Amino acid sequence: MVNKKIILPAFAILCMAQLFIPYNMISSKEKVWKHGKEFRFRTEPIDPSDPFRGKYINLSFAEGSVTVPNADEWIQGNPIYVNLGEDEKGFAKIISVSKEKPEGADFVEAVTGYVYTDSITTVTIHYPFDRFYMEESKAYNAELAYAESARDTMQVTYALVAIKDGDAVVKDVLINGVPIREVARYYEEKIYE
Amino acid sequence: MKVRKEITELLNAGIITPEIAERINDYYDKKSGPSQNKIVIVFGILGALLVGLGIILILASNWDDLPRTIKTVIAFVPLLIGQFCCGYTLIKKEESVAWREASSTFLIIAIGATISLISQIYNIPGRFDTFLLTWIMLSFPIIYIMRSSCASLMYIILITWYGCISYIDDTESYLYWGLLLLALLYYILFKQERGGNFFTFHNWFIPLSAIIVLGTVARDAEPLMLIAYVSLCGLIYQIGNIPLLRDEKIRNNGYLVLGSLGTVVILLGLSFDFFWSELRDDQFWTNDLLKSPEFIAASLLSIAALILFIMHKINQRPFELKPVEPVFILFFIIWMIGLTSPMAIVFVNLLVLGIGVMTIREGAKLHHLGILNYGLLIVTALVICRFFDTDLGFIFKGILFVGVGFGFFFANYQMVRKKKSVSGNIPPTDSIPQN
Repeated sequence: MVNKKIILPAFAILCMAQLFIPYNMISSKEKVWKHGKEFRFRTEPIDPSDPFRGKYINLSFAEGSVTVPNADEWIQGNPIYVNLGEDEKGFAKIISVSKEKPEGADFVEAVTGYVYTDSITTVTIHYPFDRFYMEESKAYNAELAYAESARDTMQVTYALVAIKDGDAVVKDVLINGVPIREVARYYEEKIYE
Repeated sequence: MKVRKEITELLNAGIITPEIAERINDYYDKKSGPSQNKIVIVFGILGALLVGLGIILILASNWDDLPRTIKTVIAFVPLLIGQFCCGYTLIKKEESVAWREASSTFLIIAIGATISLISQIYNIPGRFDTFLLTWIMLSFPIIYIMRSSCASLMYIILITWYGCISYIDDTESYLYWGLLLLALLYYILFKQERGGNFFTFHNWFIPLSAIIVLGTVARDAEPLMLIAYVSLCGLIYQIGNIPLLRDEKIRNNGYLVLGSLGTVVILLGLSFDFFWSELRDDQFWTNDLLKSPEFIAASLLSIAALILFIMHKINQRPFELKPVEPVFILFFIIWMIGLTSPMAIVFVNLLVLGIGVMTIREGAKLHHLGILNYGLLIVTALVICRFFDTDLGFIFKGILFVGVGFGFFFANYQMVRKKKSVSGNIPPTDSIPQN
């Protein structure tokens, strides 16, 4: 009985912790989803698989690297704060990078990738949003849709990313403004016709 | 139960009285403890594992047509079911091992499924080691609260995975060792349940996990890892000889088997020249060596093995030395010699030969055919390794093979003859018909 008096409250606390961690993940991402500023990142999707989370398309961004004056300042694996703006076509553009958290600007906290120096020093950026999960039957069709769109230089693929206080959520991936899920569904119907 | 059948048979044949039969039955009832249907436990755990993994796969399919809110609610369903089952077990079925093990197994998988699904809904790439660590931390208390051995085994698998993934992702995996200590605590607390299958599984899982993850410590001073590994094998071999474990059957004592096998395999690998010639040429002896993780691992493991060795030998009456016990000390000396002298390779070969001969001697002393043949296999493996050495003559190699082959025949024949004469099934040795 004494044992139960300790075990049951301990179990209740454990359950709360087990519920709190996923809840916390959801609430922080929901805040970004609802209140974050949207950026459109030009991207190239490919279709790999995760044993736990299923099929996703891997996003490789056009704005994935930046030139910096001093190579020694940047160490692979360290945090890098990317200040974002928009180009004339409305797509996301890196304005600057910094090692300190910027105040007031639209920024995203990323990870420093490779740092290589040729005539200039380039730092690659690992964004905290490089996956877009899809229903397994559609992931491959999505890749096909992208491959077709890539042949047509007029078509643009981009990820719609909400950003708030350095955190980010990929809301959707679109080809010429149409969600890739819709495009994949169109391809699926075309295959079965 | 086989014993009960035998008792009935003896009773019917009039060899034992009903009173004695009852006393024997009572003895086995007490020995086996509270009756738990092992098949129910096994199928309970298997069922929970399959259902849990099935849920992960179904959810991994990702239902695009469902709104985000519904998907988020669904993400919590496996977790809530797991928590409900565990809660119900604690309140209503606390004494049922099958309920405790199955519900804990399901809850651990459900935690992984929920975190995965939320990552999927919000497209969170996340580092895999962070995901595993969150899963481990949320699963760990289940072991103690539910008193679940299966949860403890799953925890050991998860932390081993975490240790390896951290290494692959090029981050430090030192946290693994702290997490392993937490697993050992359960093992020590519930040692009264020894003799059961779960205890046996732990005897294999814990040393195997440590052996796998020790490799992740390696960075730039790799030659030191050999000292670390031989000391780890020495340490786990000695753990296999502590009073709690030494009376277990050999197949149930993973420490003894892995400690001995690990030591022999490493030494056989080092009985070739390439490691020692590289060791003499290697410039790893730098000022930073004392701070290197390899040096720290080698030192800590050697000290731990030495302390256990001394404690064990102080209390041991009469004093006896098992074949693998002192190897980690001898290997350290050989390694130091190997830094400057090519003689180290000769000493390693002698050391393996010594372990083989001592194991054969131990097998003969204990009348244990398995240990005897293990010793012979060590010598054979050494001879096979030397077969690949080009600087030994064919005649010498041939004589070695023939000698070891005859050794196998002779030792086994002697042992079988001795066993038979002890059991009294055959007449004294001088009357055995000679072929």
